[in-house]
Amino acid sequence: MPSGSADAAAGPGGPRPPAVELRDVVKAYDQGFRALDGVDLRIERGEFVAINGPSGCGKSTMLHLVAALDTPTAGAVLVDGSDLRTVADLSAYRRNHVGLVFQLHNLLAHQPVLANVELVMFGTPRNAHERRERALDLLGQVDLAGREHRLPGQLSGGERQRVAIARALANDPELLLADEPTGSLDSVSAGHVLELFQAVHAGGVTVLLVTHDHGIAAAADRIIEMRDGRIVDGAPGGGAADAVPAVGPA
Amino acid sequence: MAFGKFLLRGLWSKKARSIGLTLAIAFAVMTVVTLEVTSSGLEQAAAAVITVGKADFTVAQKGTSDLLSSSVDHSELERLRAVPGVKQAIGVLVATERINAANPVFIEIGINPADLAGFGVTVVAGHPFAPTATDQVMLGWRAAANLGLKVGDRFHADGTWNTITGIYSTGNSFGDAAAMFPLPAVQGYNRLPGIVTLAFVKVDPGANVTAVARRVDHELPELTTIRTASQFGRADRNLVYLRAAVTGSTILAVAIGAVIVGNTMLLSLFERTRELGLLRAVGWTRRRVVGLLVGESLVLAIIGAGVGVGLSFGVTAVLERLPALTGILHANYTTGAFIRALATAVAMTILGSLYPSVRAALLVPLRALSYD
Ligand SMILES: Nc1ncnc2c1ncn2[C@@H]1O[C@H](COP(=O)(O)OP(=O)(O)OP(=O)(O)O)[C@@H](O)[C@H]1O
Ligand SMILES: [Mg+2]
Repeated sequence: MPSGSADAAAGPGGPRPPAVELRDVVKAYDQGFRALDGVDLRIERGEFVAINGPSGCGKSTMLHLVAALDTPTAGAVLVDGSDLRTVADLSAYRRNHVGLVFQLHNLLAHQPVLANVELVMFGTPRNAHERRERALDLLGQVDLAGREHRLPGQLSGGERQRVAIARALANDPELLLADEPTGSLDSVSAGHVLELFQAVHAGGVTVLLVTHDHGIAAAADRIIEMRDGRIVDGAPGGGAADAVPAVGPA
Repeated sequence: MAFGKFLLRGLWSKKARSIGLTLAIAFAVMTVVTLEVTSSGLEQAAAAVITVGKADFTVAQKGTSDLLSSSVDHSELERLRAVPGVKQAIGVLVATERINAANPVFIEIGINPADLAGFGVTVVAGHPFAPTATDQVMLGWRAAANLGLKVGDRFHADGTWNTITGIYSTGNSFGDAAAMFPLPAVQGYNRLPGIVTLAFVKVDPGANVTAVARRVDHELPELTTIRTASQFGRADRNLVYLRAAVTGSTILAVAIGAVIVGNTMLLSLFERTRELGLLRAVGWTRRRVVGLLVGESLVLAIIGAGVGVGLSFGVTAVLERLPALTGILHANYTTGAFIRALATAVAMTILGSLYPSVRAALLVPLRALSYD
């Protein structure tokens, strides 16, 4: 959990704050272009949420803000009730609280699969032996037992994504963030990867998954539709849809 | 897996860069170590003059450019002998002469035969020369062995053919590779009547050597006392210049090495942007990223130091055999030289990796991830 100041709504003993909350978030780039233009979003604990929308609508931008890989121009991002601006050690937040899976380039090409999973556990209380045991266990769970000494280049795309998922789970995150994890996969491999996300979700982890793929999105508890830096459907209170025609919820 | 293994695997996977960096470090280390051991070899050879005489301390003229151009005259020698606490002061004239290609700086010592015992000389064959002879010589046993000469043979040196009256030993390799002549003969040939180069002083039994030396320094301000080889620079300014040149070259080598290391690391930073960005994105701290880069450099520094010392052995072996340097250059490998090798390599890599590491630490993980 982030160690920043808890939001007022989350007093001790009170209802637990949402896993992720965005409050009127704006992300503007140099020429005043707004990749995110006033996003409000609430994701409850244990929810499996898919973010859908056309290319360039701001999906990755939003995910990066939640992962503390970027900061909003205006508005606030709260995780577990803590404003990320008040979290002193964002490295620890990324290491311990979230698991990250990207579309491509998840792995270090020169390190074997096992090392690619273990590397997120440096700087955690696990010793070298425990790191290895944990990585082997996770690789077994994603059906990659026996491939731990291969280099990423010797795996298929789907296998590589499963390594990335194993790594994302290594430090028992409360929040799993994935940006088009099946974007480069055929439908069979994508299906395997989706099953893994569902299993993780079943284990109580909050999952936030960016995808173009309506089939993948359909597996989620909720689909959030975005257009031009805004949420047009699936947001709390009926969404912030204005002139843009909404796509019906799944 | 240990962090170290992770680090080593990273180095191994980029063999070309790792080998390039190691070689850059090795060449700088080789330069520094070779300069160091050859200059300290020269220093030792020069300083060995004062270790030949078994003295408590040696007295030379103050401020000469090199020790062998020191000049102490007869009256100064007398005043030295009169300083309280001085038991004996043996004056010797030291000159060098080219004997042959293998002995370009052969040492010739002019000394009175009466002073031989006090100077620590033992005659091991034949007998001493006559005090005023102009064609007699004694060879140190090493010199005799090197030149293939024995008692009764003739030896051309000091401007004339001399008969070898005896072979001596001083127990000092430098003295044993020299020749000794009657003092007036060397003074005459070098046109330095009444002049000696150095005076070798023994103090009265029980007297404090340091106190007596200090008194000599005080009472004979135009002279200087030398107790150890390291005080040698007091009487030999050439060595001071030599040391300064070595220090300057060392700094230069370290600076050039640091620039090469820094440049290589900066270039590799571009190709490693995605790797380091990914590590930051999955929760590596800035400190760990810096630790990875500096750790990698330190591993290469240690290997480079080892390779550099090895290269230096080879280079000095070649230098010692160069005709122009035979008999002059002697490598003197001390523990200090090895420590210096390691210090050079480490200083170079730390300096060189400082800026690239800061750049890596400031890398925005997102920028790195979208880097193609
Ligand atoms: N560094 C940047 N500078 C300027 N504009 C940027 C920058 N990064 C992203 N953008 C713009 O912000 C918008 C949203 O980008 P984002 O990556 O969030 O889109 P996306 O919804 O993930 O699209 P895709 O489905 O293609 O991945 C895009 O129009 C993009 O061009
Ligand atoms: Mg995207």
